[in-house]
Amino acid sequence: MSLITTSKLTKIYGSGATAVTALDHVSISIQPGEFVAVMGPSGCGKSTLLHLIGGLDKASQGSVSVDGHNLNDLDDDSLTKLRRRKMGFVFQFYNLIPVLTALENAALPVTLDGSQPAEAQKKAAEWLSRFGLGGRLSHRPDQLSGGQQQRVAIARALVAEPQLILADEPTGNLDTKSSDEIAGLLRQVSKELGRAVIMVTHDPRIAAYADRIIFLKDGKVVEETILEKNSQNH
Amino acid sequence: MNIQLTLATRYLLGRKLRTFLTTLAIIFGVLLIFGMNTVLPTMIAALQANVQGAEGSVDFTITSAAGGSFEPAAAEQLRQLDGVRAVAASLQRTVNLPADFVDGDSSRPDTLNAIKLIGITPEIARSIRAYPLVEGRYLNDSDNASAVISQTLADACSVKVGDTLRLPSAAGMTELTIVGLLPGRLAAGNEDVFVPLAQAQKMTGETGKVNLIELNVQAFADESRRAEIQAAIEASLGENFRIGALMAGDELFATLELGQVGLSIFGVLALFMGGFIIFNTFRTVVSERRRDIGMLRALGATRGVILGMILAEGLIQGLLGSGIGLFLGYWMAVGVIRIAQGPMSSFINLQLGWPVISPGLVFVSVLAGMGVTVLAGLIPAFSASRVTPLEALRPSASETSIKRQTGYGFIAGVGLAMLSLAAIFSRQAALIIPGGLLFLVSLVLVSPALVRPFANIFGRLTAPIFARQGIGGLAQNNLSRQPTRVAVTASASMLGLAVIVAAGGLVSSMTGMLGGMLKDSLGSDYLLVPPSIGVWSSNVGATPALAESLRGLDGVEAVSTFRYAASKTNGLAVSLIGIEPGDFERVSGLVFSEGNRSSYAELTEARTLIVNGSFLIATKTRVGDTVELLTPTGRIPYRIVAAATDLLNAKLTTAYLSQANLQADFGVTEDVFLQLDLRDSADQQAIGAKVRALAAAYPQFKAISGAEYYASLMGMLEAAFLGIYLLFALLALPSLIAMLNTLAINVIERTREIGMLRALGSTRSQIRALVLAEALLLAAIGTVFGILGGLYLGYALVTAIEVIFPMGYYFPMSGILAALVTGLLFGALAAIIPARQAAAMNVVEALRYE
Repeated sequence: MSLITTSKLTKIYGSGATAVTALDHVSISIQPGEFVAVMGPSGCGKSTLLHLIGGLDKASQGSVSVDGHNLNDLDDDSLTKLRRRKMGFVFQFYNLIPVLTALENAALPVTLDGSQPAEAQKKAAEWLSRFGLGGRLSHRPDQLSGGQQQRVAIARALVAEPQLILADEPTGNLDTKSSDEIAGLLRQVSKELGRAVIMVTHDPRIAAYADRIIFLKDGKVVEETILEKNSQNH
Repeated sequence: MNIQLTLATRYLLGRKLRTFLTTLAIIFGVLLIFGMNTVLPTMIAALQANVQGAEGSVDFTITSAAGGSFEPAAAEQLRQLDGVRAVAASLQRTVNLPADFVDGDSSRPDTLNAIKLIGITPEIARSIRAYPLVEGRYLNDSDNASAVISQTLADACSVKVGDTLRLPSAAGMTELTIVGLLPGRLAAGNEDVFVPLAQAQKMTGETGKVNLIELNVQAFADESRRAEIQAAIEASLGENFRIGALMAGDELFATLELGQVGLSIFGVLALFMGGFIIFNTFRTVVSERRRDIGMLRALGATRGVILGMILAEGLIQGLLGSGIGLFLGYWMAVGVIRIAQGPMSSFINLQLGWPVISPGLVFVSVLAGMGVTVLAGLIPAFSASRVTPLEALRPSASETSIKRQTGYGFIAGVGLAMLSLAAIFSRQAALIIPGGLLFLVSLVLVSPALVRPFANIFGRLTAPIFARQGIGGLAQNNLSRQPTRVAVTASASMLGLAVIVAAGGLVSSMTGMLGGMLKDSLGSDYLLVPPSIGVWSSNVGATPALAESLRGLDGVEAVSTFRYAASKTNGLAVSLIGIEPGDFERVSGLVFSEGNRSSYAELTEARTLIVNGSFLIATKTRVGDTVELLTPTGRIPYRIVAAATDLLNAKLTTAYLSQANLQADFGVTEDVFLQLDLRDSADQQAIGAKVRALAAAYPQFKAISGAEYYASLMGMLEAAFLGIYLLFALLALPSLIAMLNTLAINVIERTREIGMLRALGSTRSQIRALVLAEALLLAAIGTVFGILGGLYLGYALVTAIEVIFPMGYYFPMSGILAALVTGLLFGALAAIIPARQAAAMNVVEALRYE
């Protein structure tokens, strides 16, 4: 069974003459452990697609189902809990909470889910160490480099052990070296941990890390490419 | 720790200065409410301890219900009652001692400021209580100017048995021979001086009178028997008497209570402002943190978690503010009590201890402090909880609903403004004060809608100044684009400035009124002033002989005196001031709010009163009404013919009547305050010396020239006004700094835009000018609102006080100037640092700023 299924997913912003169709009847499905990149020109609807799958925004028409839950049927609280337990988010601008340490930031989703802070932080520390940040646990975001901040964000996305990671231009704000590190990390998450990853990017080099690339244009899926990988490369 | 609390504390700690400033207002409010409400109970507790200490082994203490003296026949009547073992009547008076009276040394602080003179009938007094002498003998029936005093008093005055004790009295300086010494006092209270009743009557001018009856019932009387006896006493004496000790401090406490209410209102105002500042800060905080909040939502924080986080911040600040406020309030109470100790011990010889803390008050203060903070945070917290996760990704997503909110706010604001204007026209103090607060709220509500027109007007004014830089229009557009944020900033400064203008209005009106009043009522050439002004009952005055001999001095045109009696009407304590209308009008005068100088003549024609504003309010009467005054012999109706006040009695519930009536109905002939007018031709210096010589026999009075007294009183008033102004300034400070804060945030938030301007070719000085122009525009808008609000608030305050005090509203030109200068200064000040930062910004970094 697919982890994610979208059916004729449509999003229209505004109404009447000023209406803009950001997403136009998009139907895709994503398997557990699959690494999918979404590409396309600016304004093609890639971020909108990600937001709708993540339950951050409501679809105008059509539906999204995540692990068998139709998001349209969920109220705000259930949707929030679903996000907390089944999904992890990584954003272009990291969006770490500036007043919390790397450890506390990474532990947030578990803490919000009601775990004991000590337990949550133990899990978070494991993830951060795995990403090479073992020595930076008590640093605040402003004391970390962009690449380091993004790694904290990925640790945060993984800490609740979700089945799905949604990454919106995760390398958009990073230099080439850090970008490669982050993309590699996301691939590792998908292949070694078996999590599905959906990554929006406009960088073909970064998209090449994925198993499959979905191309969007004017809100529609225009092309899908399956990439054959030499696992030595990536 | 709970995640909400962790986040709340971290955010608060992350902005320490802002946290401190917003908390300051709460601290201030709680401090005033708690501190002031702690002072009075402490004083009352001390007074009760004093009274209990004095009552000792006595079963019942009986005084006149009116508070004055009465015929000793009442005591005889009680002696006949069944179950009564002993009855003793006495005449007791607190005698204030002039400064340095005991040691004659002005360099050392006085340990003794007052004594209690007690006139007793020696043998009868002994049937009530024991007089365990340590030296000498007890008083006997043949004694005249003899006294029994305590060992401690003897030590303080360095006298022993057989020596002479000199005391001021109504008949001039009196010398008493010490015949016996009692052990040093253990309980707090006055040092007692026991003299034969006739001697005490002579010294106080209360011939043939007593003012206290002490009564002991037969031994082994149980509770029910005592109740029976009490009922019999009450039935026998009627309503002119009451069971209970003399309360010398009644008038003083009335005054204190008034002050306490005033400061409590001030505290509530401070809390209101605190709430407003916190509301504003939280609104800024929420808009600043939209991205963080959106992120938390995206990570799975429910709306409840976000709501809880913001409310937790409010709660922490409220707790912190209330805690610090309680702590400081306690020490303020300690300070006030320390300061009050001097006057209290000299006026009514109260020893004040440490502040009495009532758990109820602590609870109410904390509740008020926390309640205000949490309430103020509620709306911002709800709006924070409505932030969608999407805003973490697209921060500018939610500008759509602002227009509609602005519309609703404007309509509600106009409605409130109308209501508050209606309140002013009603001329009801109870409506005007809340009306003032409503007016401020209405300004806050309408301000977003007014930003654009205001910005246009001021933009036109500032444009020429900044025209050379070509950015005048830009600053104005920047403001018009974000009406809500501008309104938040403007309303923050508005409150601070409104307070300054209101204080200006109040102070200039008061100075105008009091200055005039001082001239009117204390415009005499020479005055004999008792130690305690306005609390007349604790002063030993002089017999009419003093005034007569002053009149006899060559060059003295007229002498006017005050005589004092306590009374009650409808159970309310009132001060009666006896004047000789003719002399009084010549030498001094009242400020009339109803009636005029012709009313003086009416005082001599019948039983009539001129009353002050407090009297009318407290007794709910009007000019023309008749009130019943409680006298030692029963109720007597008096008609109110006019409403007027003088400065000295303005704060007390006071009625003026003729000295003839005061003597007939209350038996008082003692002068407690004297004013002299000299002939123009007289040699001021020579007469001054003669007046001082005559007054020397009455050391309870300080002889002082009118000009000197005016200067010293005016100095005191000015100091008091300065205090009021400072208090207001303190209140204004947090909100002014809040404005500084918001302005700075404004610039920081527009970093990217500034980078863009630089990239497009703006010079550094153009950027500086842009930020400055914007800050000045903002400040100007806040200042205009502040002045409007302040004018209303000031007018409301004056109108509210006017009900008690006849005072006109003086337009606070100085306050407006102060507000203009402060507003623009803070505006410029607030711009300096951000402007420098903005100008110094690296273009590329600024463009990348998020």
